[in-house]
Amino acid sequence: MIWEVFRQEKAKDYHTHVGNVHAPDAELAKQYAQIMHARRKPANSLWVVPKEEIETVHADDPGTEMGGTTQKQYRWATNYNTDETFAEEIEASQREQEEAERDLAEADN
Amino acid sequence: MDIDTVKERAGPREFGPGDDMPREYREAATRMIQFHANSEIMGAYIERPFIRQAPSLDRKLAVSAQVQDEVGHGQLLYRAAEELGIKTREEMLDELEAGDGKFLNCFHYPLDDWYELPMIMFFVDGAAMRRQATLKRTSWEPYAHAIDKICFEEGFHIKHGEDILRTIATGSKRDRERLQAAFEKWWPRILQFFGPTDDQSTHGEFAMEVGLKTMSNDDLRNAFLNAYVPKAKKYGLELPEYPRVEYHEADDYYEVYEEDLDWEEFFTVAKNEYPTGVGQIEKRERAQAAVEWVRDAIESPEQGGVSPAAADD
Repeated sequence: MIWEVFRQEKAKDYHTHVGNVHAPDAELAKQYAQIMHARRKPANSLWVVPKEEIETVHADDPGTEMGGTTQKQYRWATNYNTDETFAEEIEASQREQEEAERDLAEADN
Repeated sequence: MDIDTVKERAGPREFGPGDDMPREYREAATRMIQFHANSEIMGAYIERPFIRQAPSLDRKLAVSAQVQDEVGHGQLLYRAAEELGIKTREEMLDELEAGDGKFLNCFHYPLDDWYELPMIMFFVDGAAMRRQATLKRTSWEPYAHAIDKICFEEGFHIKHGEDILRTIATGSKRDRERLQAAFEKWWPRILQFFGPTDDQSTHGEFAMEVGLKTMSNDDLRNAFLNAYVPKAKKYGLELPEYPRVEYHEADDYYEVYEEDLDWEEFFTVAKNEYPTGVGQIEKRERAQAAVEWVRDAIESPEQGGVSPAAADD
């Protein structure tokens, strides 16, 4: 049985997928996950999830729309040239959006 | 965990579904997050008519994107609230349509025209964003996670709101007059956004002690005025003489004369009893009923749900 492993580096971080392990049950999956994915990387907590329980949708699947395929400039803070620096939270939001826009553009190339 | 331990440990993203939280904490967090979720949904209902009334295709697309975002924020927040184990998502949605769910004062007043839209999209959303940014450090972790996504999206809303404000403010003399009238109508409500001063707030202190809130309403109101009063002035808007707002330069502090504001109206609004607010809740109730067949179909697909025609009966 295969278990997907999600590692949280520090308390309060999000858990992110780091790989999987073979294990017959949840107890051993937790043991193996520690050995494989938490020994030389910082880990505060691990999740193990049975692979067969995970449903997947892929961008290439017929009829799938992940977004980013139509032009939606109007949806981004960067589309409006008002000043974002007057409030730090607006600026932070814009920086996060800029990063997401860059990631999307890279994914397209 | 007892309340003293909660107060001792209280910090950013400190508690989550795995922690055994006392009922008092869970109730306070539910009250706060449910209020926030309700406000997102009711905010969407305020902006929705402007998808139709938008003066251009660009505006129409952006307004509809905002409405979609707000509804999504409501969904995220109901999930965060649900994990506290006090109320289910369904119960919270039922309370909202029954008029028992509380939400922000400004969303009890429908907007009359396009000139009023930036009052919500720039000033009210801006005030909400000020508050939300401080909630990235709330002690209930699922709430903080929802806030991460909300703040990510909200920058676009406020910049679009300011863009509309600027367009009107740089328009004809008639445009500027109507904008000023809209501002005078909305300004007292916006000043009441953060509620009455702290010494009158019943739940605020406990929420601060257990880390659910990280900034007092007074400090938030002041932080809001600090950023947004200069913006209003930049677009040629004049603060009305009443309610009085006085800037004390030495302390970098805006004093709001509370006695100039209509608190009777505010508390009627807060009880969901103000006529226009009742109208907004009824809109929500009708929309909720009209799509009941969709929920039924999702819940029991094998029966095919109830036929769409039933919604019109």
